[in-house]
Amino acid sequence: MDLKARFTKVIKENKGLIFKVTTLYTDGEQDRKDLYQEIVYQLWKSFDSFKEQSKLSTWMYRVALNTAIYHLKQTKKRIQTVPIDFKTDRFDETKDKVEEERIKLLYEHIQRLNLLERGIILLYLEGKSYEEIASIVGITTTNVGTKISRIKKKLKSEMSSSKN
Amino acid sequence: MKIMELEEMKNTWNELSKRVEKQELQTDQIIEKMTQQKYHSKLNKISYSEYAGTIICYIGAAYLIVNFAKIEETLMQIFTIIAILLLFILPVISLKSVRIMKNVEISSKTYLEAINHFGKQKIRFQKLQKLNVSLGLFLLLISVPVLSAIQGKNISETPYFWTLIFPFSILFFLVFAYWVMKSYNKVLNATEEMLSEINQ
Repeated sequence: MDLKARFTKVIKENKGLIFKVTTLYTDGEQDRKDLYQEIVYQLWKSFDSFKEQSKLSTWMYRVALNTAIYHLKQTKKRIQTVPIDFKTDRFDETKDKVEEERIKLLYEHIQRLNLLERGIILLYLEGKSYEEIASIVGITTTNVGTKISRIKKKLKSEMSSSKN
Repeated sequence: MKIMELEEMKNTWNELSKRVEKQELQTDQIIEKMTQQKYHSKLNKISYSEYAGTIICYIGAAYLIVNFAKIEETLMQIFTIIAILLLFILPVISLKSVRIMKNVEISSKTYLEAINHFGKQKIRFQKLQKLNVSLGLFLLLISVPVLSAIQGKNISETPYFWTLIFPFSILFFLVFAYWVMKSYNKVLNATEEMLSEINQ
């Protein structure tokens, strides 16, 4: 299989990963599409030099998250993004409005976290191990544990205060 | 809705993942563009508008150089030399600050390194932009008498120049500079705060 075919296969298999990163770091449809393209481009640029030294998903998350950080400057002067506008056509039509609400709520609260916390919780929710999170983020495994429990508390208190 | 526990959040996230898999993301077209090198990254590219600004400044400087002989008064000649120098320096500062933000090596950094690098770049960029805006406003201020001198007009003879126009221009200049600096400082402070929070 040639490079392009291999790359296409990798992107297609991991499009969900890129989509979720783009949604967490942007605040509009066009901005999200721009970031999606930029991430695919940055992955393509380093795909050739990626020699399986690290796990494929580690490399992909690292490039996707880092691109999202540098992309922040393209569209906004501020560091924090604003809560996303969930359009009904954002996902496939769903009858489950409660689930839709839950996803929206979760996204909004994650977006209020600082950039480091946002990246860590994304990886945690994606089911990454502490070791893998540590390797992508660049902190120790112990620190990952500490940060996750801090984020848990933060999210819990944010959610309860927004509920009241 | 009850408060979500982290495990519930994971379930909600998994639900989201399932939906995302059904999304049409035009991956083929995007990859086609990348591989045929038709896509231009915005992260590493300096835009045409940034080059256009440089060209405009250099045209302005050339205009002043060509017309320098028409200026007789020494003070105006000094102002003209300052204006020419500023017109050469401003685009250099501007392009330098833009380059700082564009010079990015994404895949070799960890996420934390990327955040720190981005934050530091942003601070340097804002500082250079602040310098640029200050010098730009000063250029605007001195260009009025310089252009009048080139056209052979003596602005001191303009009615109310010293009593009204000049003090109000200075006042406007200071208020505008203060307003611009305030907004730059706001971004600078937010970035510094973000960096210190991240590195706690």
